Amino acid sequence: MNEQPRIRILLAKVGLDTHDRGVLGLISAFRDAGFEVIYSGRYATAEGVAKTAVQEDVNVLALSDHTGSMPIVAESVIKALREHGGEEIPVISGGLILASDRPVLEEMGVTGNFGPGTPLNVIIDHVKNVARA
Amino acid sequence: MKSEIFAIDRKFGHMVRTATQSHVELKNHYSPQDIEHLSYDEDIGDPGEFPFTRGVYREMYRNRLWLKSYLVSYTTVAETNKAMKDYVANGLTDIRFTADLPTQCGIDPDHPGAWNSMACGGIPSYALHVYEEMLEGLPLEDVVYEIGMMGSSNYLFFHSLLVAMMEKKGLDLNKLHGNSINDPIRAKLVYNSPDFPTVIDRRIWIDHIEFAIRNTPRWKACVPNGVDPQQSGVDVPRELGGCIAVGIAMVEDLGKRGISIDDFGPMIFALDAESDFFETICKFRAARKLWAKIAKERLGAKTARAMQLKIGVRTSGLSLTWQKPLNNSARVALQVLSSVLGGVNSIDASGIDEAIGLPSYEARMYNLDTQHIITHEANVPLVADPLGGSYYVEWLTSKIEQETTTYLQEIDDEGGIFQCLESGRLAKYMEENRVKIEREIEECSRVVVGVNAFQNEGEEGPINKAIENTAYKVPTVQDRERIVGEVKQFKASRDLGKLKPAIRKLYDDTKSGENVSRAVIEAVKVGATIGEVVGTIRSGYGIHYDPFNQVEMPEFVREAIGK
Repeated sequence: MNEQPRIRILLAKVGLDTHDRGVLGLISAFRDAGFEVIYSGRYATAEGVAKTAVQEDVNVLALSDHTGSMPIVAESVIKALREHGGEEIPVISGGLILASDRPVLEEMGVTGNFGPGTPLNVIIDHVKNVARA
Repeated sequence: MKSEIFAIDRKFGHMVRTATQSHVELKNHYSPQDIEHLSYDEDIGDPGEFPFTRGVYREMYRNRLWLKSYLVSYTTVAETNKAMKDYVANGLTDIRFTADLPTQCGIDPDHPGAWNSMACGGIPSYALHVYEEMLEGLPLEDVVYEIGMMGSSNYLFFHSLLVAMMEKKGLDLNKLHGNSINDPIRAKLVYNSPDFPTVIDRRIWIDHIEFAIRNTPRWKACVPNGVDPQQSGVDVPRELGGCIAVGIAMVEDLGKRGISIDDFGPMIFALDAESDFFETICKFRAARKLWAKIAKERLGAKTARAMQLKIGVRTSGLSLTWQKPLNNSARVALQVLSSVLGGVNSIDASGIDEAIGLPSYEARMYNLDTQHIITHEANVPLVADPLGGSYYVEWLTSKIEQETTTYLQEIDDEGGIFQCLESGRLAKYMEENRVKIEREIEECSRVVVGVNAFQNEGEEGPINKAIENTAYKVPTVQDRERIVGEVKQFKASRDLGKLKPAIRKLYDDTKSGENVSRAVIEAVKVGATIGEVVGTIRSGYGIHYDPFNQVEMPEFVREAIGK
């Protein structure tokens, strides 16, 4: 049988944002979708998240932030990923993403950029599409 | 050519639920027999009479309208000061302070962990001069201020800033009026607040309350908070039960310092106004009744004041949607109306653009005007507790009271609210109900207009787009760099000859078990920052100076405390 390898995804909240209902909902939704889920918890650092992503050899890194600072958060994470040899790991984002921030994030290679209330199947399909082998 | 015929479905948009938001199953109507178990004198009573179900004052709103309040804090001190003045000029009667996320976590803007969230959600209020500039031109006496941040450190620190400002100006501390949320259960359950572990939270919590009772008697230094647990998932009985249990634990801890519930006086709860209209109204009525009975029968209150519960409302941010934000105006208006019908004492209403960013100036003004319309055009506040006596409202009030009482028994059986926090019981309930709600939204058995139903086809219209574009945006990289520069400059400018002994005193008082409030006030007068106050108290407990283990203790603190 040609079984697909299980997708391993790291969900991360980098910085001091406390809004975690979105990310907590995704943990169960991703598990139900058959993904292996690692969650950084709140108050994670870019450095710590990049190290975990590389050590755990994740297929996708998903960032959540509701402060409106996603470009700043993503920039710090991408820089740390590069420093730890994780530049190949696809980064996706969700949370409070301003319309004006979306092209900035896409320019940085961050995809998805989902707002609150996005149907879970849309997010799950996106993870499947971008997951690196 | 055949023209297409549109089917019109009589059932389109029909109701999908028979239960309230907190899963109280409802009948189609209620009758006198549903409230046969209630006695008017014992369970309801006139407004201003025990058990205060109908409100804490006889005259209610005719005498004292609810306070209209907001959290006001933007990126810069200057824009925050201007916003406060503009809002006050348009009818704001109570200013709530908040701060950016690093401050709320107890660290300074020059901490490496601050960068990603700096100036998000408010001013980095790291030292006394920031508050002096923020409140420039605003009175300190006989106005209502509220402190509504996250960690226990913040209440201690910001109340100390206010006291320090008043003492420097020679003002009367008896005229400092307002409150601190200062709820150590919320700090951990909802935020896992990193500033202090619970053992320190619990001591600082009571230090702050004791100091306020003895020195700033019109400052209510503990307001058990149900808003954030509710927004994080708990249902109404657990929101209310949690607040009551915090109140009980507080009265017990104060008792160990020789302070009675009568010394503490009226209680205040911060409660959530959710979208479920009648459940929200009945929650407020049940809360007053429950607290009155517990204060009298369990906590030994002798004065009527100490049996009274005032309610400060925060309308639900969670109910607001990012999709079609114009709809939020209907949500907020209904939540404000339910708060007024429920006889609350202050309302902090959300802005319609709050799912997108901090509220814009115009959203705030709209919000105040909503309250003015409810007051002056709809004439709602003319009569106290206008829904009292409704079969449904009395039944639901009683039902919420019963379910909350059952939950309180469960908390007691486990040994109190702190034990329930530690055992994970509180987190488990929050998680279970949150997942249940999410599933209902996913399955559309709980409709959120514009999110899982009634999403309009096609391009978003200009009004909704404009709301998104005008919401307040987070600070840029340049703003953040400027703030870090200012903090470094400020720290270098201080007189260490004065600062070091003040830090030493705070360290010693922390270790000896003395109330730390006075030492914090003296330390902030000579320039101590939030990060240094938190770090020094942590060091007094022998734990790492930095809550995040990322920076070392500054040299001058090391010298001051002889480490």
